[in-house]
Amino acid sequence: MRHLSEQEVALYAASEAGWWNGMLYRAHVRGCEGCRRMVREYRLDRERLQMLADELPSGVSWERLAAEMTANIRVGLAAGECVAPRERPASIPTGWRVAGATAGFAVLLAAAWWLNMPKGETAALGRAMKAIVQPVRRGMLSDEGTLVEASASGIEVRENGGRLGVFRQGVRPATVSLSLQGTARARYIDSDTGQVTITSVYAQ
Amino acid sequence: MSGKSITVFLAASLFAAGADAQIFGPGGGQQVMQQPSISHRIDLPGDAPVALVSDEWGGSAAAVRGGAYQLDVRLALSLRNTGQRRIRGITLTVISQEATPGGKGSISIPSLDVGPGETFPIRGDLRLLRPLGGNSGPMVEVTLDGILFDNLTFWGPNKLNSRRQMMVWELEARRDRQHFKSVYERGGRDGLQKEMLESMSREADRPQFGAQVMRGRPTNNAPEQEVKFAFLHFPGAPVEAMDGTVTVAGNEARSPKLVVHNRSSRPVQYLEIAWIVKDQQGHEFLAATVPAEKRMPSQSSTQIIPDAVLRLESKTPVQSISGYVSHVEFTDGSLWIPARTEIEELAARRVIAPSPEEQRLVQIYRKRSLNAVIDELKKFQ
Repeated sequence: MRHLSEQEVALYAASEAGWWNGMLYRAHVRGCEGCRRMVREYRLDRERLQMLADELPSGVSWERLAAEMTANIRVGLAAGECVAPRERPASIPTGWRVAGATAGFAVLLAAAWWLNMPKGETAALGRAMKAIVQPVRRGMLSDEGTLVEASASGIEVRENGGRLGVFRQGVRPATVSLSLQGTARARYIDSDTGQVTITSVYAQ
Repeated sequence: MSGKSITVFLAASLFAAGADAQIFGPGGGQQVMQQPSISHRIDLPGDAPVALVSDEWGGSAAAVRGGAYQLDVRLALSLRNTGQRRIRGITLTVISQEATPGGKGSISIPSLDVGPGETFPIRGDLRLLRPLGGNSGPMVEVTLDGILFDNLTFWGPNKLNSRRQMMVWELEARRDRQHFKSVYERGGRDGLQKEMLESMSREADRPQFGAQVMRGRPTNNAPEQEVKFAFLHFPGAPVEAMDGTVTVAGNEARSPKLVVHNRSSRPVQYLEIAWIVKDQQGHEFLAATVPAEKRMPSQSSTQIIPDAVLRLESKTPVQSISGYVSHVEFTDGSLWIPARTEIEELAARRVIAPSPEEQRLVQIYRKRSLNAVIDELKKFQ
């Protein structure tokens, strides 16, 4: 039969081994001199500790000391958390999550548009968006563009922020014409002689 | 300064009262702003077959308009034919480099008949607008680009390709004079008078239009559709338009693509296609021409893809587009224009304008008499 371990001897000596284990340990200790001697030594140590405890200053309570120690430990842990760098759980930042959701929504909208809208409407929307980004003044292109115009009142070229026009005060041209090359012509007829004068403006 | 090069600075004469002008703001407040001095230069080469007799710049003025200088240039020149041949046409270049950086203008007089030693007038009104700023005053420079003589020879630097255009006007003038002569020979005074009245009626009924040509991006947001050109085919045309499409969006037409074929036995170096637009109200008018510097060997085809946008007045959305080859220049410098019979139907529909010569003859009839027109027709042989 095996001998009792120190833990079993300590529990038996303190009468805390339980009813069934206590019966078994007692049966062994009766027949085993070594284990009986260890039980006797544990009981003597216990009596001596009890005598030392009786000598502690009056007013000291083990429960109160334990509670204070626990409180101090918690305060220390809390202070340590304030000073040490805080570890955050690994996760996707909120901004990216919003951007991702928006992009997904945009893709969904684009797919729905592509599947349902006529091509002409899509092109018109594209041009409208381009016009918003690059606003166009009525009657002329942006400053960097070139425009040649012919109207009932005369002709004009607008280029590089400057203008060159042909307008006769009180006289309308008999004919105006335009060329896609960037030329406009106005034809004037002298009312007395019939002489024809053709003025032209050219874009470079 | 060379013999015929004349430089005149007009700062003192145009602004004799001083260099300051009073500009009144919208709130009635008075601003005093320095006016730019206007100077001009008439530069005729020393060996030119014309000489300057006189020049008038009366009525020319400069003013501040909003954020820009507006220069109204009124020019009246008198030139003398110092050459040996009769002058049929002349083109002067007008440049104001500072007022219109990159832009330039010209004044042309077709249908002339100026003999050696004779003088003739040239008038021109130009309005220049340039942004405020800059230190030097604007300069208007008038130079000679070319002169066309009665034997169709040309003299001049031809920087504006004025030779080709003056040749077209002269060929049209000869064609139309021949037409009116034939009418007079066949139908007498009554026949010629009827022709004059019909021409006046067509001119009065011809719709006026407004259009712009732009380079670069479109400005219209209307839905696009690809429209196929409907071409008028003239039996005598050396070049035939075979196929063509254009993208139409509302009142804009852009990205035209044209295929032409040289069916003649002569190589071609330039051609123009007239572009007739029909709006949604059924009005037709010649909106623009599509020029193409294309070398085309005999019996060859080529594609013309001009990079420009044609925008009509916003109230005239495009419904359909047709076109025809309006003139062709061969590599030897000779030109082809449609015969009078080929374009009569277009003229009758008020689609195309009459030639400068027809307008001149009609004005002579209107102002003077039928006899004056008959005298004019007899003058040119």
